[in-house]
Amino acid sequence: MPKCTIDGKEVEFKPGENLITVAKRAGVEIPVFCYHPGLTVVAQCRMCYVEVEKMPKLQTACSTMAAEGMVVKTQSDPVVKGRAGTMEFLLLNHPLDCPICDKAGECDLQDNSYGHGSAYMRHSEERRTYVDVDMGPVIEKNMNRCIHCTRCIRFGEEVAGIHEMVAIKRGNNIDITTIDGNPLQTEYAGNYADICPTGSLTLRDFRFRKRAWMLKKTATVCEGCSKGCNMEIQHEGNVIYRCVPRENLEINKYWMCDEGRFNYHYTQDPTRILNPRSGNASISWATAIQELKSATEGKKVTFLVGSDLTQEELTTVQEYVKAYQKDSSVYHFGTEGVAEIADDGQADQILKMKSKTSNLFGAEKLGIKNVSSMKSTSDVVVVIRGGRADLESALKQVQGKKIIGMGVFLEKDAAPFSMILPGLAFTEKDGTVFNHSGIEQKIKRAIVPKNTVKTVSEVLMLVANQKTKEAVV
Amino acid sequence: MSQTTLFEQHFWKESNRTLEYYLQSMNGYQAAQKVLKEMSPDQVIDEVKKGNIRGRGGAGFPMGMKWSFIPKASEKPKYLVCNADESEPGTCKDRQIIRYTPHLLIEGLIIGSFAIGCKHAYVYIRGEYVREAKLLNAAIDEAYAKGYLGKNIFGSGFDLEITVHRGAGAYICGEETGLLNSLEGKRGEPRVKPPFPAVSGAFGCPTAVNNVESIANVPHLIRMGGDAFAQLGKVDKSGGTRLISLSGHVKKPGVYEIQAGSMTLRQIIDHLGGGVINDKKLKAVIPGGSSSPILSADEIDVVYDVEPLMKVGTMMGSAAIMVIHEDTDLVKLLMRITKFYEHESCGQCTPCREGCHWMESILHKIIHHEAKPSDLDLLVDVAQNIGGKTLCALGDAAAGPVISFVKKFRPEFEAYIKGQKIYA
Repeated sequence: MPKCTIDGKEVEFKPGENLITVAKRAGVEIPVFCYHPGLTVVAQCRMCYVEVEKMPKLQTACSTMAAEGMVVKTQSDPVVKGRAGTMEFLLLNHPLDCPICDKAGECDLQDNSYGHGSAYMRHSEERRTYVDVDMGPVIEKNMNRCIHCTRCIRFGEEVAGIHEMVAIKRGNNIDITTIDGNPLQTEYAGNYADICPTGSLTLRDFRFRKRAWMLKKTATVCEGCSKGCNMEIQHEGNVIYRCVPRENLEINKYWMCDEGRFNYHYTQDPTRILNPRSGNASISWATAIQELKSATEGKKVTFLVGSDLTQEELTTVQEYVKAYQKDSSVYHFGTEGVAEIADDGQADQILKMKSKTSNLFGAEKLGIKNVSSMKSTSDVVVVIRGGRADLESALKQVQGKKIIGMGVFLEKDAAPFSMILPGLAFTEKDGTVFNHSGIEQKIKRAIVPKNTVKTVSEVLMLVANQKTKEAVV
Repeated sequence: MSQTTLFEQHFWKESNRTLEYYLQSMNGYQAAQKVLKEMSPDQVIDEVKKGNIRGRGGAGFPMGMKWSFIPKASEKPKYLVCNADESEPGTCKDRQIIRYTPHLLIEGLIIGSFAIGCKHAYVYIRGEYVREAKLLNAAIDEAYAKGYLGKNIFGSGFDLEITVHRGAGAYICGEETGLLNSLEGKRGEPRVKPPFPAVSGAFGCPTAVNNVESIANVPHLIRMGGDAFAQLGKVDKSGGTRLISLSGHVKKPGVYEIQAGSMTLRQIIDHLGGGVINDKKLKAVIPGGSSSPILSADEIDVVYDVEPLMKVGTMMGSAAIMVIHEDTDLVKLLMRITKFYEHESCGQCTPCREGCHWMESILHKIIHHEAKPSDLDLLVDVAQNIGGKTLCALGDAAAGPVISFVKKFRPEFEAYIKGQKIYA
């Protein structure tokens, strides 16, 4: 492989890689604002200056491709002065309202200012101000904080496939806004907040709820569809505050859809059923286990498992049925109209898949058939779901039967069930899921579940092992 | 010294712009005919290279070289784009060409298009040139009617369409990549280079962007032969003649033509311009459009061409000379120039967007006697943080005058800061 030298270190590179990427490999971080690996290079912010030997001017590392024998300095005096100059220019009109800005703590402008700017200001003129437009329910705009990096414009055009953000006017009066001031239309709007290097575009859902540096981060996988976008659950004090995408170049690159991003809300819904109940009455777990045992033991039972369950949970159910419910059958359910992987496919041109559950591939891999292929049903039906599998399409096939629910249900889902045994949501458990193309990924526990809910395996183990009339839980 | 001129004798008479005049008095379309029938594209490019013709738009890049960068093997269509967005303050030479010798430009476009393999040439004309756009379109219609444009020109099998595209009045669209964006219907913002237009220009295809005067010189060059054309130039690496837009405090402002490098700046002002107006003392000269660093009165004994001017720290630019006499308030002049660049900055890159406005604010304070003594150094420092650091040359254009004005005429700025009045 060809080599170049960065700050005295020799680094190998692939032809076509820019200096930011190559420097990163050498352990040298070059500050950027407008550059984003998932977007085209525009070299507008002028922050990533480097000195390249034999070139008269400072070069922008984002737009300079590494070349054999190239000698690059990232810390020389002209570079330091150039970056300080850019930092000063960027802060001339920035309100410096970090104490009340949600981006503080994870703000590129703040970080680079500490790293490369000056603590003093030489500018004493009035700052430029803007009137903001309403960007719709997802994004809150604060144009005064904008540094005109145009990442949002490029994201819309290049990733979300919608030209909705534009630059209008020019020079000092340039305004980054939506066309005609319309609200955002894309279903990927949350990414605007992720890529904004300042607090100009923030998430309405997250605003003023938590300081960024207090959040703990758990790397997991989105359960919103069969794409399996990698994401991070950010939480504190056992409460989830937001989910953000995590880079995975094979699956979701740097992005995720709003549906997946805000999907976690149901797990914290006040109407989520967190205690075992029979009909409308709360019951103890001992009673619940007992009732489940007496309803199923020695009988023919139909188990409907959501394709939103993890591979571990599905296997547990399958093995339980094999060992204790010999004549019973297991079917999976998840999305109306998507019975198997062959029915799945892209729901849009970007990330979303038709299957609205995370582990359809896994269920199929275990040989479980879809509920739509079920010929007859037994009198007792046990529905086990993670929280996202579509109940309606499953329940219409078992109308009039005694239906017992296990897993995550909200109050609005409760009516058809004679009994509900609350379980763990995807944010509360570890496990394995297979995405639409069979890539195996792990989901991780971010939140400690309430002690009134039980895992699928615990419930089935208690039922199987219960010898006396009084269940021991 | 008597000057050989190629353009000047045809200017100032409206009847000269007709096709009839062009055919009868200017050997019209003979060069194109010769090229299409007898020469290969490479021969044309070689001839242009021999002619040592430097780009007349501002950068002074050798034209033959530019054409030779267009990849011949490329499958994509190639484009020749004529930059008629003549917007550098002080420049008005391209306007003369379009007004009085539009067919020269059209013939140049035919030859240039043949040389680089272009089937559709564009003329991007500045929005303010309403009349000129009409005249040019009328001339193009004449050429189409005669079969000089369109299909199978001169029976050679070569086809060419020319489209005139009017700009909307932005200085930045004179920058070649800004121009291409505007031509494509996008926001008029310069692009990152590389890739250069020769590789990926208009509509992502190989493109040569040339100034009006550069292209209009090509028929002359072909008629005379590259060597004879090069001989017109009196300095190395600069052939042909130069059109100079002389303005400011001279007795006879106007567009003049000289053989490249045949006169010094002082000779141009004294002999062509007739000296400083009202016989006042000369104070300074802006030698190449408002973006070129200023020269003080004692620096003007320099040969007026690209390289000699570069050696004294300024540039020839678009060859627009602005003469400034002793009673001129240079602080206010600088303010006016800076205001122009602040207004015309496209706003995409940081130093230019923020810095030009800041420089204007500081100058505003100086003029209103509100500045601190340290503000002068701040002004220069800001200019240095812009110059050489921006995406396109507009940043340099804005910073150059500020740095040179303050360096050469510092006492005038200090007087303002102290609250003294030099000029009434």
